[in-house]
Amino acid sequence: MEFLLENILNLVGFLVGLAIGIMSYVGFRNTGSPTLFRLTIAFFSISIGFFVIWSGYMVEDFVTKSGTIERWIQTLGIAIQTVGYFFIAFSHSIKSFFPKSSYFRSVGIIPLFLVSSVQLEHIFRSVSFILLVYGAIETMLSYLENRNKGAISVSVGLGLLALGEFLGWYSFVFPDSILYPASMIIKIGGLIALFIPVSKVPLTKIKFDEDFE
Amino acid sequence: MAEYRTHMKIIGDILSTTRDDLQDEDGASVTYLIRKANISHSRISAILKTLVSQGLLEKVDNQGSNKYKISQPGREFLQAYNTFTNFADNFGLSI
Repeated sequence: MEFLLENILNLVGFLVGLAIGIMSYVGFRNTGSPTLFRLTIAFFSISIGFFVIWSGYMVEDFVTKSGTIERWIQTLGIAIQTVGYFFIAFSHSIKSFFPKSSYFRSVGIIPLFLVSSVQLEHIFRSVSFILLVYGAIETMLSYLENRNKGAISVSVGLGLLALGEFLGWYSFVFPDSILYPASMIIKIGGLIALFIPVSKVPLTKIKFDEDFE
Repeated sequence: MAEYRTHMKIIGDILSTTRDDLQDEDGASVTYLIRKANISHSRISAILKTLVSQGLLEKVDNQGSNKYKISQPGREFLQAYNTFTNFADNFGLSI
């Protein structure tokens, strides 16, 4: 059951990320907008992250047959997804929260060299959680300003992904409970909610402009 | 409080004016665009120069004064701009 849910989640994540990434890229090529460029990086990263984890499960199932996914593959996939979530949050001006002092910046990197890959996975999950919550709140605030209904769906999607990340991280405390499968179902719901408004964007008359710089 | 407009939004406003809100068939004058797009003369001059060089606007010499009309690539750009503005709005962002 858990294996099936993992596969569905990672495939849905890969496809949704890829679709939104391609749409953002077409938008970037047609308008040259830096916001769309950041969204392109964000969603391609999310897509690649899900694909890496899905590949890890496939390798485990068909090649190594060890019964569990290689830990470093899972960590790598989650890290790549975190980069994507960072760029979504960054688009909402997260840069204002960066530590101003170069001392803090240098110390901030040290923990990454001191922990094992299992702990790294949890660090990435918690960072993803924070970034997703930030993105969800900012998107909801923009809805309150512009009343664009699509923003509600994206905000709910990011919120569900955040909740899924939190439960996925918290399942470390209760390893064999329902928490982990629940986190995967919630994340699948979040990805679908994220895709709903984007799927309604009419792209039929947009042509891919090769010459525009 | 005045709304902050990105560079892209200003370009969108200028192109929209030259498409939907022309003074006459010859095009829009710089003064008219300044008023409609709510932008300073020095800034609009640089933007108009770029838009003409990119082929999004056509410069028409009308009895000694320059007027601007949207070109076909300009119309296509504006359509893409409107579509992807809506796309970015869904994420709570401005392009």
